[in-house]
Amino acid sequence: MKTEKNDIKIKVCMGPGGIATGGADVIKVFKDDLASANIKAKIGKGCSLHKVGCFGLCARDVLVDVIVGKNKTTYQYVKPDMVPRIVKEHLIENNPVSEWTVGDDYYSFYNKQIKVVLSEFSEVDPEDIDTYTAVGGYEATKKVLTKFTPEKTIAIIKKSGIRGRGGAGFPTGVKWEICRKVESDQKFIICNADEGDPGAFMDRAVIEGNPHSVIEGMIIGAYAIGATKGYVYVRAEYPLAVERLTIAIKQARGKNLLGENILGTKFNFDVRLKLGAGAFVCGEETALIASIEGQRGMPRAKPPFPVHSGLWGKPTVINNVETLANVPYIIRKGADWFSSFGTEKSKGTKVFALTGKVKNTGLIEVPMGILLREIIYDIGGGIEGGKAFKAVQTGGPSGGCIPAELVDINVDYESLAKVGSIVGSGGMVVLDDTDCMVSIAKFFLEFTQAESCGKCVPCRVGTKRLLEILDRITAGKGREGDIELLEDLGNDIKLSSLCGLGQTAPNPILSTIKYFRHEYEAHIKEQKCPAKVCKDLIEYGILEEFCKGCGACLRVCPSKAITGEKKKPHIISVDVCIKCGACFDVCKFKAVKKE
Amino acid sequence: MITITINGKEIRLAKPTTVLKAAKEAGIKIPTLCYHELLRLYGGCRLCVVEVERIPKLQTACTLTTADGMVIRTESEAISKVRRGILEFLLINHPLDCPYCDKAGECELQDLVSKYGPDAGRYKEAKRKVPESHEDIIFTRNMERCVLCTRCVRMCESVQGVSALTITERGGRSKMEPFSPTSFNCEYCGNCLTVCPVGSILSRLYLHSYRPWQIDREAETVCPYCGVGCSLVVQVRGEEIKRVVPRIGVGLNNGLLCSRGRFGYEFIGSPERLKRPLIRTTPKKQSTVNSQHSTVTELFREASWDEALNLIADKLKEIKGIGFAGAQRYIEDLLGQGITANLISGLKHSEVIMVVGGDPTAVNPILGLSIRAAARSGAGIGIIGNAKGLLRTSRGKTLQIIPPAFKEAEILEYLLAEVYRIKGPRRENHALEQRIGKLSEKPPKTDVAGLGKLKDMLLGSGSVSIVLGMDVVQRTDGHRALFAIAGLTYLLEARLYLLSDRPNEQGLIDMGCLPDTLPGGRPLGISDFRRKFETEWKGTIPAKEGITLMEIIEAAKDKKIKAMYVMGENPVFNLPGGSYIKEALGSLDFLVIQDIFLSETAELADVVLPAFGWSEKDGTYTNLERRIQLLRKTVNNTSGMDDWRIISSVSNKMGYKIGYSGVEDIMKEISRVSPLYKDMTYSEIEKGKCLWPYNGEPLRGVISDIPLAEKKTHEYNGSLYLAPERVLFHSGTLSRRSPALRKIAPEPTLKIGVHHAEKLGLQEGDSVTVSTAWGSINVSVSIDNTIKDNKVLLSNNFEGKGVFSLLNFSIDKITKIPGTEGCEVTIKKL
Ligand SMILES: Cc1cc2nc3c(=O)[nH]c(=O)nc-3n(C[C@H](O)[C@H](O)[C@H](O)COP(=O)(O)O)c2cc1C
Ligand code: SF4
Ligand code: SF4
Ligand code: SF4
Ligand code: FES
Repeated sequence: MKTEKNDIKIKVCMGPGGIATGGADVIKVFKDDLASANIKAKIGKGCSLHKVGCFGLCARDVLVDVIVGKNKTTYQYVKPDMVPRIVKEHLIENNPVSEWTVGDDYYSFYNKQIKVVLSEFSEVDPEDIDTYTAVGGYEATKKVLTKFTPEKTIAIIKKSGIRGRGGAGFPTGVKWEICRKVESDQKFIICNADEGDPGAFMDRAVIEGNPHSVIEGMIIGAYAIGATKGYVYVRAEYPLAVERLTIAIKQARGKNLLGENILGTKFNFDVRLKLGAGAFVCGEETALIASIEGQRGMPRAKPPFPVHSGLWGKPTVINNVETLANVPYIIRKGADWFSSFGTEKSKGTKVFALTGKVKNTGLIEVPMGILLREIIYDIGGGIEGGKAFKAVQTGGPSGGCIPAELVDINVDYESLAKVGSIVGSGGMVVLDDTDCMVSIAKFFLEFTQAESCGKCVPCRVGTKRLLEILDRITAGKGREGDIELLEDLGNDIKLSSLCGLGQTAPNPILSTIKYFRHEYEAHIKEQKCPAKVCKDLIEYGILEEFCKGCGACLRVCPSKAITGEKKKPHIISVDVCIKCGACFDVCKFKAVKKE
Repeated sequence: MITITINGKEIRLAKPTTVLKAAKEAGIKIPTLCYHELLRLYGGCRLCVVEVERIPKLQTACTLTTADGMVIRTESEAISKVRRGILEFLLINHPLDCPYCDKAGECELQDLVSKYGPDAGRYKEAKRKVPESHEDIIFTRNMERCVLCTRCVRMCESVQGVSALTITERGGRSKMEPFSPTSFNCEYCGNCLTVCPVGSILSRLYLHSYRPWQIDREAETVCPYCGVGCSLVVQVRGEEIKRVVPRIGVGLNNGLLCSRGRFGYEFIGSPERLKRPLIRTTPKKQSTVNSQHSTVTELFREASWDEALNLIADKLKEIKGIGFAGAQRYIEDLLGQGITANLISGLKHSEVIMVVGGDPTAVNPILGLSIRAAARSGAGIGIIGNAKGLLRTSRGKTLQIIPPAFKEAEILEYLLAEVYRIKGPRRENHALEQRIGKLSEKPPKTDVAGLGKLKDMLLGSGSVSIVLGMDVVQRTDGHRALFAIAGLTYLLEARLYLLSDRPNEQGLIDMGCLPDTLPGGRPLGISDFRRKFETEWKGTIPAKEGITLMEIIEAAKDKKIKAMYVMGENPVFNLPGGSYIKEALGSLDFLVIQDIFLSETAELADVVLPAFGWSEKDGTYTNLERRIQLLRKTVNNTSGMDDWRIISSVSNKMGYKIGYSGVEDIMKEISRVSPLYKDMTYSEIEKGKCLWPYNGEPLRGVISDIPLAEKKTHEYNGSLYLAPERVLFHSGTLSRRSPALRKIAPEPTLKIGVHHAEKLGLQEGDSVTVSTAWGSINVSVSIDNTIKDNKVLLSNNFEGKGVFSLLNFSIDKITKIPGTEGCEVTIKKL
């Protein structure tokens, strides 16, 4: 088949997941193979090898779309060594390699999703501004700068009802309006791309997949509030995001979308990158400002809020990446279009990083108010390995756990807050019955404790105390009254901490106590970990009746705790066992027990 | 006007302030720990939380600004619980070693816990263990006790401007640390010590030697070290000074001190103090000029007060005092009296500060802090010459101009001419303007880098201050610099500050210790004034002007003066041309020295009288801004005698009756005769507001006869010159007898720029011989990268190693000040 070669497009997922699983190598082999198969010469200019941002279903990376004419075929789990066969069979012989393509469940992953900020991910080459303008990019900028007053722009954003996606959910239009009204010779807009929660990669995906949407959001925001300078505060640990932003800014300057007299108007605005050193607390707005100013990244008391006194004491709007990326779409398609998604108080869509024990993990974008059940079962494809769904942790270290019984709640700001969790920045970890809730709480506390900046007493000392108590409980040394102490201490810390980090740090503990108190009690009173996770509370042993004496466990045990003759039941010496669980995993006959 | 409600009490405020301050005004106490009134806000300890209506979260009173209609509650069950919780948290790590800790009794944490704290802690985890650090010579750091309030860090960074302290690491691992444990550029101001609420930073001067409640007495008095006159509190146990502390809200220094004021008090208790009057036994000619150092017993025998005073009364035929203040006097002649009486606090609010002729942060450290504060809030600082203490912290708008050797006067004249050319005359002081006009006709040419920028800075601001150090004044052409400064002050309507390293120098001037004035600045030449004093004193006052300091020395050498009575001054050490001075004073028939130590000059004396030291006497102190403050006695000295009593006795024995009953009695006379101190009483001074021009009126207006010598430019083409250095850790000769200051700076060092050090192959610490035409001294070398010209610097504080003994001098014809510039020096490595 040598006819329609002009129409061949190959898209390789180069989102965080794709890169991690070797997307770059896949691209390279595609390039080499296409070249050596001489397809490039025959297909002419119509075919381009796009680097494309996150596809969403990270669990199946590397995902590759091969589009021939109007037919799109998606391959999953692509490794470089699979490329030659795809090139040969699909592109040369026009015979898609059906055993490697995605199945129906892949499409159900998409069906319940509505994509706004992720909508153009498969169309746009993040390193080429023209592919963004080709799908309507920067039209919103043109519209706003030439047709709307700043006030009108703010009115549209207000009307859309969008609230900040960085965690606090403050109405963006209101924030802009307040800042607009403050008189000052200089104002700033800052894009918060510090994204430091463990397991979150929404903002990174947006920047890496479509950086121009974020820059466009900043231009519109700057125009609305009257800022002439903007900063993107991005973690240095995101080198690709940094690289793509740098390219995007350069290209935007080249097209006079940044700089002086933008698009021939009187509006001047430019954006600079500021690399963060990766402290979680630097995502807090006042700490972020301090960090840009060259001081230690520590929060300060609010008020005054940044909209009144921010960077260098000047009025400053700080918005999250996702918030800003929504802005061009709101302008382009209208406030009503945007607010047609979501609930009364939570409008639009939200990107979540769905991880944990569901079958389909990855980046999803759903309308606000979607049922938790839909996310877990329809999009997530249910719990992996047939285990029981236990809870969902949302909002990362600031959030809480929603137990399985509440699976029918709506996922929006108000509903989640009502049950003791938060939407937060969009982390969503699904837990099954092999997850210990005390350990989950401890995991997050370890994080917040390590990330506490140390400025205020309750957070600096309190989180450490909380962690120490959890350490004790998971080590089987819990005491009567520890649960009450955790609650009391947790509430004090929430009440008296300076910034959001401390004010929310106890949430993972408080919400797990709320719904899984019995698990805490089991740890303390019976020295048992019901999920059999806490090492100090479990013991490995061998069930004689199942053991075939194959010796597999004996061979993997790193501390030589297992003895036994071939073909005879083996024995684990409890004193030597370090509870690594290697024997448990290796035994084919389920003869190793965990208690 | 806004109205807020705190605990149901309505409070009206003229303008918004913090909730904490508003509550304090209204007498409502809110507990605080990290807050400190001298420091920028922090909001870290969370103890000051309050509830505010319509704000869902608890707010910190120290950071929250009041708004009209705000309703605040400072006490509630929730608030108490939070406070208890926080104190409980702090006690988790804070050791309970109060019985052993020096801070006990004045520890803020101790007080807070007893008032707001929990009955018992609920946590049993291990406390943090950090060994106490004695690495520093002055401070002990105990980081187990630290509550991480960062007060010390904020003090050092944003008040002292040094940034020697920081918090390292984050979260629960945070620690307060000096940037490097041993040498951390610390200025040893000890201001961190003042603000630490707990016993984490302590002074080793009194470590474990007493408790705050064991003080027998204390008094608010004035620092003996420089012309700023900081207020401080001296605390005494027995007859020993235990500690010197500043007090917030008191004096111009408002809680701040420098190393000399805080740690330099030990000289009072020095075993080397003079205890008995001494009468010479060895004939002068044998002992003086040649001998380097003789012991007291070799030269003198002890005598009773009576014998010594009788001897003096008998011998004294002719007494000449020592004249001061050539610089100030000259400027006042041009611009009117009181022109230099500007408040130090005003410096903070200046937009532009020009600093010439010295480093204010070393000569007058607390004044220097105001300049640093101005720099931090964006003022432009223009330095002519070297002021390294202003270079270390101020960034951005600080401009340094390095004049070629001894061309400061030209540079200033150039600036004056330029300012005059652009700004034109002010038409107030005709005589002055005429001179300026004349000078501007032929402005000196100069192409020194940065001068244009400095000119623009000065012209571009309506709020200029000029800070003048003596380095450009103690010059053969010093009056030229002074004239230019006066002209600039006048044209720019600037505030002028004269740095002064002599405590109470202004007081002496006010008392008429000048060759041509009577007390209160009354000119001697006017017979009406003379008559007034003649009536008061019942005697005649010679109408002929006296002579100035260097003229006195010369007269002594020429045997025109036969006897001299010197109080608390050490001319042999403090005047240039050491051996010349020695020779001159050695030629006297009779020399009386009244001092607290056997100074270099005292070794030439016929009679030495042991005077009271600074903390042993009452009196007044007038500082460089002309603020009069009380000096108070805290320590009893049983062997010495009050200065005023010594003078009275001598006078009485000579037949002129002086019958003061005490210092207040003397003050009464002063307030009667001196229009500057009119109606002033001790109780008024005590209130702390006695500032120029008090109740009196400025007297001498501008005079029209402006003495100005013809321009005679010296050319200096030598390769290296010796010049005096004024150091931060020492001042005069008292500090060398303070062990703490000697620990900080034990030895004089020769400061040399990088370039010259390289040329001479010198390295830090090398021993060298510094030689001039007047002699040589062995010292070690310290390389100073802020020295950019061809001067090497040596201080004048240490026995046998004072720079003045090596300096030549020639007198400025107008100011009569000995100029010491242009002293060529050779340096040889040992
Ligand atoms: C400890 C802490 C970390 C935070 N980290 C982030 C972050 O990584 N990214 C972000 O957008 N917002 C973060 N925030 C929220 C920001 O403070 C701020 O609310 C947000 O950037 C505002 O933007 P939005 O209104 O668009 O949400 C964090 C807040 C806290 C308290
Ligand atoms: S709550 Fe934690 S992170 Fe926030 S200021 Fe306090 S110590 Fe720092
Ligand atoms: S003594 Fe002064 S300079 Fe030294 S650390 Fe303390 S505050 Fe800083
Ligand atoms: S040393 Fe003192 S002042 Fe400094 S942080 Fe610790 S407790 Fe506060
Ligand atoms: S005193 Fe207000 S937070 Fe420390």
